Amino acid sequence: MTEQTYQRHNIEEYVVDSEPFYLPVADEVALFEAAYAERIPILLKGPTGTGKTRFVEYMSWRVNQDRVKAGNPLSSLVTVACHEDLTASDLIGRYLLEPSGTRWIDGPLTRAVKHGGICYLDEVIEARKDTTVLIHPLADHRRLLHIEKLGEVIEAHPNFLMVISYNPGYQNALKDLKHSTRQRFVAIEFDFPPRDLEGPIIEHESGCNRETAQQLALLGEKIRNLIGQGLQEGASTRLLIYAGKLIERGVAPRRACEVAIVWGLTDDHEIQKSVMEVVTSIFA
Amino acid sequence: MTSTPDHSHVIAELEKHPAALLAAYEEAKDRVTAAIGPGSALKWAEEGVQLANLGARAWEAATEYYKASPQVVEIIGFPQFERWLESGTALVEESPVVASSFFRASPDVLPTLAPRHIAGWATLGQSLSKGTWKSSSLAARFFDVSNDLVQNVTFHELQLFVALVQTLSNRSYDLASEALVLGQRVLPAVGEREELISLATVLAETSWREVRGSFEAASRVSLSVDRKLRRRYFSLTERLARTGMANVSAFMLESAASLARLPQEQQMVVLERAEDLADTSAEAVGAFIKTAPTVLERISTVQLDDWYHRGLEFLKENPDGGVAYFKLESQRAEQLLEALSSSIELERVRGLLGMYANALAGTGVQLQSVGELAHKNIGWVSMELATTDGKNVFLPEMVDQRETKAENFSWLKVVTTHQVGHIEFNSFDFNFNGEASRFEDLRRKVADGIGAKPSTTDVSSFFDMFPARALAADVFSVVEDARVDANLLDRYKGLQEHYYSVQEETLKGRSPIHEMPAQQAMVELLIRLSLHQSENAEVPTQYVQQAQEIAALLRQVQDPNATVEDTAEATLRIYHLISQIPNDEVPPDDWEEADLSETEFSEPDVENIVQNLQKQMEEGEEGEGGEDYESPEDVEYRGDFKPEMVQMLAKMKGQQSGSEDESQEMAEGLTQEEIEQMLRDSSEVDFGDDAEVQQVASNMMKEAGSDAPDNPSAQGYNSIPHQDEEGGPLEPSEPRSFVYDEWDFRANDYRPRWCVVQERTAVAGETTFFQETLQQYSGLMDQIRRQFESIRPETYRKHKRLPEGEDFDFDAAIEALIDLRSNISPDDRIYWRRNKDERDVAVAFLLDMSASTAEAVEEGSRDGEWNAPGDPVAYTAWLRARRGETSRRPYKRIIDVEKESMVLLMTALEAIGDRYGVYGFSGFGRENVEFYVIKEIEEPFSDKSKRRLDKVAPLHATRMGPAIRHAAAKLAKTDAKTKFLFVISDGRPQDRGYSREGVEKEYAVQDTRMALMEARQSNITPFCLTVDRNGHDYLRTMAGDLGYEVLPDIMELPRRLPQLYKKITL
Repeated sequence: MTEQTYQRHNIEEYVVDSEPFYLPVADEVALFEAAYAERIPILLKGPTGTGKTRFVEYMSWRVNQDRVKAGNPLSSLVTVACHEDLTASDLIGRYLLEPSGTRWIDGPLTRAVKHGGICYLDEVIEARKDTTVLIHPLADHRRLLHIEKLGEVIEAHPNFLMVISYNPGYQNALKDLKHSTRQRFVAIEFDFPPRDLEGPIIEHESGCNRETAQQLALLGEKIRNLIGQGLQEGASTRLLIYAGKLIERGVAPRRACEVAIVWGLTDDHEIQKSVMEVVTSIFA
Repeated sequence: MTSTPDHSHVIAELEKHPAALLAAYEEAKDRVTAAIGPGSALKWAEEGVQLANLGARAWEAATEYYKASPQVVEIIGFPQFERWLESGTALVEESPVVASSFFRASPDVLPTLAPRHIAGWATLGQSLSKGTWKSSSLAARFFDVSNDLVQNVTFHELQLFVALVQTLSNRSYDLASEALVLGQRVLPAVGEREELISLATVLAETSWREVRGSFEAASRVSLSVDRKLRRRYFSLTERLARTGMANVSAFMLESAASLARLPQEQQMVVLERAEDLADTSAEAVGAFIKTAPTVLERISTVQLDDWYHRGLEFLKENPDGGVAYFKLESQRAEQLLEALSSSIELERVRGLLGMYANALAGTGVQLQSVGELAHKNIGWVSMELATTDGKNVFLPEMVDQRETKAENFSWLKVVTTHQVGHIEFNSFDFNFNGEASRFEDLRRKVADGIGAKPSTTDVSSFFDMFPARALAADVFSVVEDARVDANLLDRYKGLQEHYYSVQEETLKGRSPIHEMPAQQAMVELLIRLSLHQSENAEVPTQYVQQAQEIAALLRQVQDPNATVEDTAEATLRIYHLISQIPNDEVPPDDWEEADLSETEFSEPDVENIVQNLQKQMEEGEEGEGGEDYESPEDVEYRGDFKPEMVQMLAKMKGQQSGSEDESQEMAEGLTQEEIEQMLRDSSEVDFGDDAEVQQVASNMMKEAGSDAPDNPSAQGYNSIPHQDEEGGPLEPSEPRSFVYDEWDFRANDYRPRWCVVQERTAVAGETTFFQETLQQYSGLMDQIRRQFESIRPETYRKHKRLPEGEDFDFDAAIEALIDLRSNISPDDRIYWRRNKDERDVAVAFLLDMSASTAEAVEEGSRDGEWNAPGDPVAYTAWLRARRGETSRRPYKRIIDVEKESMVLLMTALEAIGDRYGVYGFSGFGRENVEFYVIKEIEEPFSDKSKRRLDKVAPLHATRMGPAIRHAAAKLAKTDAKTKFLFVISDGRPQDRGYSREGVEKEYAVQDTRMALMEARQSNITPFCLTVDRNGHDYLRTMAGDLGYEVLPDIMELPRRLPQLYKKITL
């Protein structure tokens, strides 16, 4: 007898039901709501750890609030992390082999389209090029999903919305969004939150005290000054939160920053040393 | 004199020989007779005849005998004379030539040579002569040089020396006779002749060619090595030579040069260690002596011992490793040195602290040594005090006053943080009209009250208000430093411990306040309070109240919310208090300890301040009399704070630093005179005379880039012949010249054979430029190298969905199976394989070497400013005028950045093995497109390429088309699969006559475009990179559908170029 200790959802049934913590930096919430109302697909741009995924979760919860009041069915959130071997059939679905034949199974995108969820394709440029064929008809006025193997075309549920994200930091001639893709989305830019906003975020997420959170935010700001001068990317808010959590668990602040931030940031020994000097200046 | 012996038989005999003999006899006869009497004289004459008859050329020797005789008899007397003659006779029998030399040398040598050595001397000569012609000539040479030798060396040394020469003569007479001459020149100058000769004797047996070198080096040794140690030095060298060490003379030269850098006591220590080391390894001795001065710069003599012994142990274990250790070429040696040394060299921590400073300031701060700033001579003179010019931070080159390395580093970190703090907390953004946050704004009111006019910078407007400008500036500095410190301590809690200890240490080192006159004592008090002295302070009894107010005012700005405007407000009030105190001595009894911690300050009355300032102005500088005010001692960790100079420089550079009020507009186009006036007014700089002011002002203008950049380059490059623009096709007239067509877009056709490209190998310079650039960018280089190295492994890639391969591609196979079952025809591409994608890339880089690349980089490029005269003579004059006179270039030019970028890229390309060529182009007119080869595509990378890159310099114009065509032609010849052409330029293509009717810029752009298209057609991917901010205009036309990029900031080039390369070629 095993006790089930996890929660299991069908992809299309996963709904964000409690409010995720999200501190708006600018007008992104209003923008998302407006775009959602018009079902305009959304592109989230920004470096890693700037809250893109959290934002989508938060918005997914938020757009459901009216439905909760009205007692309407809720819209789900389908998240797909893209990688370089992700093919179109991974999104649409495929036939499975069975002893007596084959059985079709819908992929996550198809499920979202059918059930009217938000489909979030994270790091979309990582996916194979053939996925764009799917994205294009879904992301313009047609809102259609072609399933070639079944010979079907599915009209998207009215609540369906496509959200994609990408990190312009990795830019490379081969890995850039095509203009034809870009120009189907409204783009919301994400960047590291300013220090006075990041402090509360760290404080809330890590549970550390306010002073520590502010110091971590200061550290984040200072490290980000080094982007392009040896660092490819700055310390993400996520790393700062990890450091805050370690500190809260009793790890000495300098050590916590070292393991959670400095070593995660770069393997370059010289840069690590420099960043450690910043750490030792901020934390006693 | 009755009976004169008859000499007629002698004469008769002599007449049988050539006339010179008789003449010599006749001339000497009377003097000899007078000296030794007629009887002996006859004997003398007959001896000559006998000599002459001894052999074929003996008459020559006899002639010399007669010639020398008068002087010789006068020197040594007749009895000795006989013995002299005997020696001579013996020599004639050996060789008349040798004897001639002997006789000839005698009059000079005998006065110095002890009579008992005469025979020995002759024997020495004789010993060299072995009956051959060469040996005789050597012996004769010996007598010729004897005079110089006997004057300076003992007979014993002479014997040793001759023995050496004899040994050498066994090998080579040329060498031996060379040694004679060397000995004549060197031995007198060397104190330790015996040792040197002994060394040379050893060498003569083993590596006889080294003898010459060791003699040459010996005189250097005498100059370099302490007199008391030279003997030991030579015997050490001899020991080493005996062990068979090769290249002894090089060892001597190097070790002498090295020892010369050390004082006597250290020479001794080094030599002692070297003697020990000689037992183990000769090579290590050389390495050790050579590096010793460098090592001793970093560690003490006592620590050297430690370092040496570790090395010795290591040497015994592992001879090669040990030698590398002493050469400082091993990690272990370096690490130990690092550990032993407690001093911090800026050079070693520059990267570390530089990045730290950048993180804090967020504005791209560079760390440099204060020496570099002082060298620019733009108002900063201190060689020790850290400072900042508002953009970069300048630090002392060496920190070694504390005991441990950690302490020294902490100190330097505090110093760096303080300077960066001025940038981070906006000390230089002072706005005269800006609002203070902690005070009521009185500046404007007071300025109106005294009728002060705004000056060129906000800081000088502020300082101008105060008659005692130096006092005001000092107070401002202290208060601002205190504000910055307070901000830093609030923000950087981890730094507090070090910061407080540095402050405490600084406090201890201050001069006693009791000895200062009252006004200065109050400024000193301010400093001490700012260093967190306990607030129970010694204060002149009379001024306790003022002291309390000052303390309260200072507390106001020691707050994280205070701004530089608050500093100004506090300065105004503190100045008001202090300037009214006469600068008189305070008797020792008139001091008391006062509690300054509690009181609040009282806001002064504006009227009162105005009156006070006006009163001071009328009375002249020091309103209240007393002694002349002297500025307080520096606070070392805070360094040199010059807000007025910084704002002035910033203003000259046209940066709007902070404020936006009307006075800013005056800044543009400051004349030299105005700057000089401001410098004279400023209390931040001290000047000896007016010439100095002028010099500094003009240096500042140069620094700010308001002067035309000088361009002392292009030496070694050809001047240009000139040909008329009109006319027809050209022919290549010289070797390595090539003719290309040019595209005329109006005619929509090519102008045939229109341009001549002259290919030349670039002038070679030094390789140091290459190394220095790599060092300068070492952080970036590592990064680039890593990025590039990651390219290689990718050459093996798993290719999926292939019709054949190593194994099934399961995804594809299952799909095929499914298709089969669903009765769909399956795809047969169900295999995968690892494909080796050989990277086969050739690339040519074309560097713009046009005159405009001489621009200083801060200025950006100035497009459209091309108004050079058309005539080469006038053009050259114009260029020269742009270049100026100074030879040292404190700023970077566009071309320098281009070159540095190439250094990085070339190094990176070596890592991935792409074939590449580097070329520069410039020119003047269509018949002179200059194409400089820095590295050919197929040429291996070598020092030659480095040297050539060093000398790349701005030359003339930019005719891009033909240069591109020529580079493309070179690329076309290679067999690479993928070919790229990178054009790196600083502006639009321009050249005399590179237009239609001399006006249309479009012509050049269109021709360049066509050249790029041609390259494209021959399967070359061209890419244009420009640092011209306005580049989008014409690049869109020129390379729009090809690849191009405009770099907004040229300083990005070293970083961007490799990135681009990687991005494009992958």
